[in-house]
Amino acid sequence: MKDVTLKQKIKQGFQSLFHIWKEEVKNTFRDQGMLIFFLLVPLAYPLIYAFIYTGEVVREVPVALVDDARGSLSREFARKVDATADIRIACLCPDMEDAQERMRRGEAHGIIRIPGEFASDLAAGRQAHVAIYCDMGCLLYYKNLLSACTYVSLDMNRDIKVARAGNTTGRQDEVTAYPFEYEDVALFNPQNGFASFLIPAVLVLILQQTLLLGIGLSAGTAREKNRFRDLVPARNRHYEGTLRIVMGKALCYFMLYAVVSVYVLCAVPRMFRLVQVADPATLILFMLPYLAACIFFSMTASAAVRNRETCMILFVFTSLPLLFISGVSWPGASIPPFWKYVSWLFPSTFGINGFIRINTMGATLAEVAAEYRALWVQAGAYFITACLVYRHQGRIGRRHLRDEMRRLRRAASRQQQLAAKI
Amino acid sequence: MFNRQTYQCLKRIAWRECKRLVSRPLYIFAMVGAPLFCYVFFTTLMDEGLPTDLPVGAVDMDDSATSRNLVRNLDAFQQTHIAAHYPSPSEARAAMQRGDIYGFYYIPPRFSEELQANRQPKASFYTNNAYLIAGSLLYRDMKTMSELANGAAGRTVLYAKGATEAQAMAFLQPIVIDTHAIHNPWLNYSVYLCNTILPGILMLLIFMTTVYSIGTEVKERTSHQWLRMGGGSMYVALCGKLLPHTVVFTVMAAFYNAWLYGFLHFPCHGGILPMLLASLLLVLSSQACGVFMIGMLPTLRLGLSFASIWGVLSFSISGFTFPVMAMHPALQALANLFPLRHYYLIYAGQALNGYGMAYTWPSYVALLLFLFLPFLVMNRLKTAMAHYKYIP
Repeated sequence: MKDVTLKQKIKQGFQSLFHIWKEEVKNTFRDQGMLIFFLLVPLAYPLIYAFIYTGEVVREVPVALVDDARGSLSREFARKVDATADIRIACLCPDMEDAQERMRRGEAHGIIRIPGEFASDLAAGRQAHVAIYCDMGCLLYYKNLLSACTYVSLDMNRDIKVARAGNTTGRQDEVTAYPFEYEDVALFNPQNGFASFLIPAVLVLILQQTLLLGIGLSAGTAREKNRFRDLVPARNRHYEGTLRIVMGKALCYFMLYAVVSVYVLCAVPRMFRLVQVADPATLILFMLPYLAACIFFSMTASAAVRNRETCMILFVFTSLPLLFISGVSWPGASIPPFWKYVSWLFPSTFGINGFIRINTMGATLAEVAAEYRALWVQAGAYFITACLVYRHQGRIGRRHLRDEMRRLRRAASRQQQLAAKI
Repeated sequence: MFNRQTYQCLKRIAWRECKRLVSRPLYIFAMVGAPLFCYVFFTTLMDEGLPTDLPVGAVDMDDSATSRNLVRNLDAFQQTHIAAHYPSPSEARAAMQRGDIYGFYYIPPRFSEELQANRQPKASFYTNNAYLIAGSLLYRDMKTMSELANGAAGRTVLYAKGATEAQAMAFLQPIVIDTHAIHNPWLNYSVYLCNTILPGILMLLIFMTTVYSIGTEVKERTSHQWLRMGGGSMYVALCGKLLPHTVVFTVMAAFYNAWLYGFLHFPCHGGILPMLLASLLLVLSSQACGVFMIGMLPTLRLGLSFASIWGVLSFSISGFTFPVMAMHPALQALANLFPLRHYYLIYAGQALNGYGMAYTWPSYVALLLFLFLPFLVMNRLKTAMAHYKYIP
């Protein structure tokens, strides 16, 4: 055993680290598959996604109107509903049968029915009921129909109340209509847009998923190229320490993704004019542990990939469960405890929530401290698991090599014996 | 064309494929494990149906009997739970940014005093619409509560003047909206989403499995043997190979039908048979899409990339979360090229609304049309199988 001083060892370590880093960079840019995951998907996919949701909101949902009252008040109601941005009255139907038929044919996504007693009820000082029926195939239809009708009914109620009260001054009218006023403020996403709500989450998830795919692909390739289908090549001077392998590779991915994430997280929201109120320093500080956690997480997971292409089958379908479990589309407060704990295993959960709060809600690092800390813990934990995995793989590699050497040696000695006999 | 010899070929290839399927854990994972996991995952995740007791803050600067009553009333709403009280709006906003609450109700100082003096004070509520579903649900509750509270204030006056309850209500709320959410009166999100997500996941995995199982023949250099077993006919080779897949995936599709409509009792107004037919067509059309993908891009990597992007985009473009009518016209046309879009239309027409075949047949036909896709690439695929070498 050679005596190596600590200084030399560290020097060697760094040399190997940069060697591995260089190799990985070369591999990445030579391999079309990796370029697809590391560059093409992060470049193109957010654009497609943002394009789908670029309308932000649904306008003018077609509904059928059945007006049995046929009076000036019912017409006023219909006119006002039609004037809202949310829905439009696509057809006037003589009866419910006809309206239902329109819905079946897909010409309308809801029915507004004003009963015959509408005007007489109002005139007699009774409550008048307007029935709305919504197609529940898509909840946004329901939301639009309900909010438009509620808005119009409140508006008309106000006028009716004032007319009945018989006040003398305008101020009295206001107080009659509303003893106290209220205002609603939609914070952080004032237009209630679908893109502003979903796209930030998707962007952050894309980073993790493409890293998983790319690193998985790289691991699969390394195995396929290796003689013994091992992840870590044995008998290579540079691959002797675990730390240098893990750090060398991670450094390559990190450098690449530092650039990619600027595009994904800053340029894409700007292109599609999404809410973007992040403080740059906060965002950078937050993305640091997120990328690190994603990279080490992916390196750990990549040990499961045997072939180049299997990573896609293993990882692509997880995007949807990961999006739901992060608590964006389904509120985090309503996620059952078991799945909540499961969600803590994935960097995306904290990454998505933290990014939304920083980017869309203007939070500072203090407000996302829980997520920030969790990401550092994950980065640390997955770094350790990545090291363990690579160490284990390195041992397997060396064992395979040793077995192979032994086999060769045995074969050689057998040949010698044979030769000696002859 | 279909003689005894073809039958033998089919049988032999199918048997070969069965052996290949069980030889690698990957196939078992993609065909059985992953779909099963997702079935259980999504239905248990949204088990609650409609989110209840979402955390909300209260900023009560008035701190009077009236304002406390308002806050108590809000807390009694099903979706809302007053999780905390904050001394000022800015602290409530910070709590929102921390993610502790999804919204807060603000009652200004001297609220009850001004109310009694008929000076029309102003309350406000703030919802966090960066989390759109939670924000919308809370918006609804807070708005309803504000309306009711306004009514309650007026009602007290009216009662004092000797009005009956009916008279008072007729004065306060002359026009009432009766909402009928057809066939999903609980606004159950699980019913709304799972019915399309579960088939969607299965479809994605069918895309991937089909592409992988064909593409890997080139990679493993077994494509010649495969073609030979099919007697040189790509059609026979392909049918024999995909038949075992069809069986497994159809069983998996039937399973989610049983799980959703049989076990969880989700609405199924059109009968189970049309849904089973739709599921079978979804399986077949997804397989056809898979063949088309690997036929168009006969490299395993590119074929799988095509399958992934088409599969994942399906969820957005099929229009069950964000309606297709609100998308760009080009995307509206493109949506027809996704099997999941037609499956969603069938689900909405059949299981949810029970419109019957007379109205949903075009979507069934659309799914059937996907089955013609493989014919377009058959020659290309055969050339690939016969001559291509694996490119990493």
